[in-house]
Amino acid sequence: MSGLTMLVPRRPSQARAGYGFFALDGIGLVVFVAGPALLAIAIGLFDVDGFGKVEFVGLDNYRLMARDQLLWKSFGITATYVALFVPLAFVVSLCLALLTRRDYPGVGLVRTALFLPNVISLVVVGVLWKFLLTDKTGAVSSILAPFGLGDVSWLSDTALALPTLVLISVWFLMGYQMLIFLAGLQDIPQDLYDAATVDGANYWQRFWSVTWPALRPTSFFVLVTSLVNAATGVLAFDLIYVTTQGGPANATSTVIYYAYQQAFLYGRFGYAAAISAMIVAALIVVTGALFAATRGGAIR
Amino acid sequence: MSEPPRNPRGAAPPLLTRRAALGGLTALGLGSLGTGALTSCAPSNADELAFWNFIGPGGTSQEQSDWIQRLAAAWNADHRPKVRLRYVPNADYLNGPTLQTAFSANHGPDVFMLSPGDFLRYHNAGVLADLTPYLNATVRADYLPGALDSRTFEGRVYGLPMESEPLALFYSTEAFERAGLSAADVPRTWDQLLDVADKLTTARRFGLVVETNPGYYQNFTWYPFMWMGGGSPLAADQRRSTFDSKATVAALRLWQEAINRGLAPGRPQGSGGNDSISNLAAGYCAMQQVGIWAIGEIAELAPDFRYGVAPLPVPEGGEELTCAGGWALCANAKGRDPDAAARFVAWALGGSDAACIERSRQWNTKVKMTIPVRDSVRRAAQRQGDFENPAYRLFVDRIAPKAVGEPRYPVEIYRTISDTLQACQLDNADPAASAAQATEAIDTFLSTYDGAPIQ
Amino acid sequence: MSRSPVPSRSPASGKAGFGWVPAVGYLVGLLTVLPMLWLTLAAFRPGSDVFSMSWPATLTLDNFAYVLTEVPFLRYLANSALVSIAVTVIALLLHTMAGYALARLRFRGRGIAFGLVIATLLVSLPVILVPLFMVTLTLGMVDSYAGLIVPSVFNAFGIFLLRQFYLNLPSELEDAALLDGCGYLRLYWHVVLPLSRPVLAALAVLFFLANWNSFVWPLTVTQSENLRVVQVGIASLQGQYAQEYQYVLAASVLAAIPTVIVFMLGQRRLVETLKTSGLR
Repeated sequence: MSGLTMLVPRRPSQARAGYGFFALDGIGLVVFVAGPALLAIAIGLFDVDGFGKVEFVGLDNYRLMARDQLLWKSFGITATYVALFVPLAFVVSLCLALLTRRDYPGVGLVRTALFLPNVISLVVVGVLWKFLLTDKTGAVSSILAPFGLGDVSWLSDTALALPTLVLISVWFLMGYQMLIFLAGLQDIPQDLYDAATVDGANYWQRFWSVTWPALRPTSFFVLVTSLVNAATGVLAFDLIYVTTQGGPANATSTVIYYAYQQAFLYGRFGYAAAISAMIVAALIVVTGALFAATRGGAIR
Repeated sequence: MSEPPRNPRGAAPPLLTRRAALGGLTALGLGSLGTGALTSCAPSNADELAFWNFIGPGGTSQEQSDWIQRLAAAWNADHRPKVRLRYVPNADYLNGPTLQTAFSANHGPDVFMLSPGDFLRYHNAGVLADLTPYLNATVRADYLPGALDSRTFEGRVYGLPMESEPLALFYSTEAFERAGLSAADVPRTWDQLLDVADKLTTARRFGLVVETNPGYYQNFTWYPFMWMGGGSPLAADQRRSTFDSKATVAALRLWQEAINRGLAPGRPQGSGGNDSISNLAAGYCAMQQVGIWAIGEIAELAPDFRYGVAPLPVPEGGEELTCAGGWALCANAKGRDPDAAARFVAWALGGSDAACIERSRQWNTKVKMTIPVRDSVRRAAQRQGDFENPAYRLFVDRIAPKAVGEPRYPVEIYRTISDTLQACQLDNADPAASAAQATEAIDTFLSTYDGAPIQ
Repeated sequence: MSRSPVPSRSPASGKAGFGWVPAVGYLVGLLTVLPMLWLTLAAFRPGSDVFSMSWPATLTLDNFAYVLTEVPFLRYLANSALVSIAVTVIALLLHTMAGYALARLRFRGRGIAFGLVIATLLVSLPVILVPLFMVTLTLGMVDSYAGLIVPSVFNAFGIFLLRQFYLNLPSELEDAALLDGCGYLRLYWHVVLPLSRPVLAALAVLFFLANWNSFVWPLTVTQSENLRVVQVGIASLQGQYAQEYQYVLAASVLAAIPTVIVFMLGQRRLVETLKTSGLR
């Protein structure tokens, strides 16, 4: 991977140092990340009720999953959330990056402003939007009332709650993705633009012929991280915990949230672990595919 | 402050691997959830009883908080082990992970509050200590008929109720006046309920609040609507479900319409439909289905708010009734000292001494304003003229006598009803089809159920 | 908006000049922070006034005073600070060592070690919450500072990022030190760590923010009030002070202040690192 290591004289102590240096993190990753991921599969074979009962039940939990309509609904909700969030966040943050890539007075401040939502916690983000989106009396309803939208229930209408959460998530994450795009944009040589300009290309033509292809690795990174984050990260949990608790009528109950509820609200640890195992399996497939596609993560 | 950080340095990773390698992750992970294989996570003060509650110290109501602190102080004055109060906010306690997580960490409280809705899950898991040996026969007889039913299994008592809390309809006098309505317009039927709510709904105020957050509380508030027309999830023999009935479907439809017509919010303010201050008193709604505790709540936190109380409206040809909940104290059978915990619970609520009666009377009629569950407490309250307040009086004389105790359906039945209710109320599901589906689900469950009798 | 555009050195400006771009930038920036400003303003309103849409007649500090005195909020803040700083320091130490080993040191099994990092890159905490809780329980760390700190340290992303950083770092200084007979531990401490300063500053900001803001793990692993961190505290205040929203808002503002300060301090480093590191 790196030619540099070849230059270092090989010494017997090098291997020892290598093990020593990696040991603690390696152990930690196994015990606290990889281990639990695999453990989920094992626990999923038990009925664990959270009051001390541990009983081997084989594949019962998985059979239950097949019949659990709310679980399937939650898979659907996660899919919808991802399908709405990932492209929207992508486009919005790319636009913001294009909007702030050039130096004009105060551009630093604008970038900071756009990044700021990402700095505060999702819990505070949740409190904030729950406050603004209160039915009837909240700021958003008050502002929209003159347009006849004062009675819209942003977070408690089954049709609107999830899209609303998507918008909040975009607001939260767009600044971060914008920064990554800005970094990608910075690496594009000016000559390419100059050449295109000489050829008489307008802004959009320059974008499609120069910017877009050059941004491909960046775009790939943004898409992958936001996909994983939206499907399995805290984004899909914290915000929902604080704002809707999975409601109304389970309309915002993502798989992650559903599994959490099963374990820590209803004490069905075995069942929750079985759901986790499904997600881990999906992640293994995705990671494997990405790994193969990018020859060992070299894309980054 | 009593719990110092548990040796953060002791958790150096090398130790972890040795242990992990020794037992194998699976075995250890499961073992830890087994019957207390590891005692290292027991709270540090082994000689204290941890009493988890949502009252105090530091609770929303100063008076209630004071009461529970007096209770603990009275016990601590001449009993050992001492009781240590641990306040968990109401919303966390009802719908949060705190209690369940603590039990799964073998870290649960010694004494805790439990609602009838949650009883079976805890009982079937074997964490409720049998209080029967700690109660004398006269005390058991002193409990009003039915008061102990939902905490009893095969004649043994597993929790002592503090109170009975029937539901009713509270309304804002001011909102009625503004809409040109008077006390004569207070709805008595379901049709009137929706009509009046419609008249009361404005740009900044909803006509009605019913609970929309899923949970034991929501089911509890909806049951009376189901029962009024004769509906029930279970047949009398409890072998099959009768959830799919005209009465049930009508009750589902009523709640659906309240939301669909924009008369009730999809999400009440504050801690939810049980919160009279953030909703009714704050002017967010004009009518609210809430329990008797709202009287005390309003008296303490919004004393200037003018309101009235009425029995829950009934459907055409239905029967006036309501559902009564109420919290019970339970002792953790798997705690550090189940015997002491049970002694404490029996002492706190199940004594025959004057101090115990007076303590309950204070709680029921002065502090929280709920219905006494013991005859001696009720008589003491009558002697003292505690039922003077007109709203309270209405509860005592008219509403409470028609109250049915909150049922203790197993978690699967509760969940089925909850999901059905949620889907109809908030997701516009067809009540008839949902009820049919729920019946099927409950039947499937009943065919395998072998836990404690449901009611 | 009134400012005249300044000719730019940056790419893609073309001949069109700035035109509407700054104006839109200012507007979008303002709209983005507006909700936060509104929340902050509401936190200064008297309780009866929180949902009001007009400029408040009176501004008050009572809400903040209440939260700081009547709620153990300072304790929550202290817990969050302790946990975030501890995790950040430990993680930076461990990850620089691991990243360096993966980038520069040849040892058998390095490929497997790197594979472990890559494999865990996409495993997020919510997915493994239940089994991780059980592991932590087994280790006797539930409801303790150790339980808050230790499981939060191990993060493949940090290791990966540092490995990329070391791959791109010129090795002359290290080679010289090695030729001087310097051991690897001293080399790490005296050469590698100082060279890593810029990326460490950026990662410190990222780790601190992530841990200060983390919610689901502290929510799950602690029950004691003494161990409550600020995010869990706010979520719980929501229930406790449901009737007095202004306190929840004030608490939220208090919880956000440290993150904004840390971000402002580390902003430049963070942006530079995002631009120069392999994070693309």
